[in-house]
Amino acid sequence: MQSSRARLFKEYKEVQREKSADPDIQLTCDESNIFKWSAFINGPSETPYEGGVFQLAFAIPEQYPLLPPQVRFLTKIFHPNVHFKTGEICLDILKNAWSPAWTLQSVCRAIIALMAHPEPDSPLNCDSGNLLRSGDHRGYKSMAKMYTKLAAMPKKA
Amino acid sequence: MVKNLVYFFPHLRSMQNSREGESPAAELALENKPITEYMVGPAPLEGTNFDEDWACYRDDDVIRQQDAIQAVEAEKIPLVGDKEHILALAEEFQSGSPVIQSKIKLLSEKYSNLRRTRGDGNCFFRGFMFSYLEHILDSQDGSEVDRIQSSIVQCKKALQDLGYAEFTFEDFFMLFIEQLQCVFNGHGDSYGHDELLKRSQDPSVSNYVVMFLRFVTTGEIRRRSDFYEPFILGISDSSVDQFCKTAVEPMGAESDQVQIIALSDALGVPIRVVYLDGSTTSLEVNHHDFIPTLQDEKTQSNEGSESKINQSPEPFVTLLYRPGHYDILYAK
Repeated sequence: MQSSRARLFKEYKEVQREKSADPDIQLTCDESNIFKWSAFINGPSETPYEGGVFQLAFAIPEQYPLLPPQVRFLTKIFHPNVHFKTGEICLDILKNAWSPAWTLQSVCRAIIALMAHPEPDSPLNCDSGNLLRSGDHRGYKSMAKMYTKLAAMPKKA
Repeated sequence: MVKNLVYFFPHLRSMQNSREGESPAAELALENKPITEYMVGPAPLEGTNFDEDWACYRDDDVIRQQDAIQAVEAEKIPLVGDKEHILALAEEFQSGSPVIQSKIKLLSEKYSNLRRTRGDGNCFFRGFMFSYLEHILDSQDGSEVDRIQSSIVQCKKALQDLGYAEFTFEDFFMLFIEQLQCVFNGHGDSYGHDELLKRSQDPSVSNYVVMFLRFVTTGEIRRRSDFYEPFILGISDSSVDQFCKTAVEPMGAESDQVQIIALSDALGVPIRVVYLDGSTTSLEVNHHDFIPTLQDEKTQSNEGSESKINQSPEPFVTLLYRPGHYDILYAK
C-alpha cells in the first residue's frame, strides 16, 4: 500500500513535469484518491479514430506496480479489442505481460498504438473483429468512424 | 502460471475435470492461454448472443478466479519453504521411474538438503535471492557485499542508459540493498535465518526482490543484445526487445538459460544448476556452472574481488532444476 502510493506519487510528479511531452495524452489523477486516474487520449491520425478524444478510466490496485492498473474506455469505441459495452481492453500488458517497467503514461501510449493496430484475432468485440478478419476493412472503418463521430467528438450546437 | 500448478500438483487436474460443464469462466481460468484465444474459432450458434454471454465473464472475473486458485495453492507451498532432507524428494517420486529414484540417491551423496520454492514462474529468481542472501548471512563476506554493490551500481546505470525511467525501478533496487545490508551483520542488527525466511515468504519483500532481479536481468540482456540475440532467436523466435518484455520483465515469466546467464553476468555471481530428470542416457546427475564473464568496467573498478571469482569458481548459489522448476540445494 505504502509502496504503491509512493510510486504513484512519483508518476504524478513525472506527469506534471512532462506535461507537454506528449500532446496526445492528458493524464490526470483524482484529487482525493491517488488510486483513481483518468486520461483523455487523441485518436491516432490516419485511423477511423482520428479527430476523436477518448476518455480512459484507471483503477489502480494496492499491489501496483507489481499488478497492472485496470483500464477501460469510458468513451464508446468500435474496436476489435475493446468491449463494446464495458469498455474493457484486451491488451497483453494489462494482463499477463504487465511489468513495473510500464507506467500509466506508457500504458496510454500502448493503448493509442492498439487503436492504430487492432488485433482482430483476439477480439472482445466480435462484430468488429469479424469485419476485419473477413477482410471487410471498409465496413470496419465506416463503423469505427461513425462511433467516433457519435461518441468521441464534441456535439455541434 | 496455472498450467504449471497443474504440472506440480496433479490433483489440480481432477479439480479441472470436475469443473467441466460449469461456467465457461471457470474452465478458462484453469488454462494458461489468454482467454481471448477461446473466442477465436467457430462462430457462435444462431440464436445465442455471444456478446451477451461473454459480458458475464469479464477478464477481471477470470483473473480474480485465477488469483483465488493461486491463493489456495499458496497455503500449500510458501514462496520459500523450510529446509528439508534431500531424500524428501524420493517420497515425491515414489511411484515414479526407478531412474529418478536412483538419481536422487546419487544426488544425496553430494547434497544434504533441499529448500523448495513455489512454482509460480518466479522460482529461479526467488531461489537465487534466498540462496545468495543466506550465503551472505552465513559467510559475512564483506568483500562480496562490496563487490555486488558496485555491480548493482553498474546495473542501475545500464538501465538508465537504456532509457528506463529511474522511478520505475529504484524502489526495487533500494529494497534489495536493504535486504543485503540486513543479512550482512556488519551493520549491527540481530538478523538471523528465521528473519530471512520470514521476509522471503512475505510477498511485499520477496516479490520486490524478484522484480529487482528481473530488472537486472533485462538490463543485462538489452545492454549486450548482440551477444544474446542468437540465443533468443534460437529458443523463442522473438526479438530481444520482445523477449525481455514477455519473458523477463513480467512477474511470473519463467526463466531459462538466457536469464540465468544474464543474471549471473550482471551481478557477477556464479550459479550452479543441478539437473534432475528422467532421461536415461546417463545415470548421472549433471550440473552446469554459470560463471560470470569478466566485464571491463567491473574489473577496473573492483579488481580484487573479480580475481577472487577466478581463483575459486565453486559457486555458492546452487539450484536444483527439474523440468519447469527450480529449488534450492545445499551441498554436504
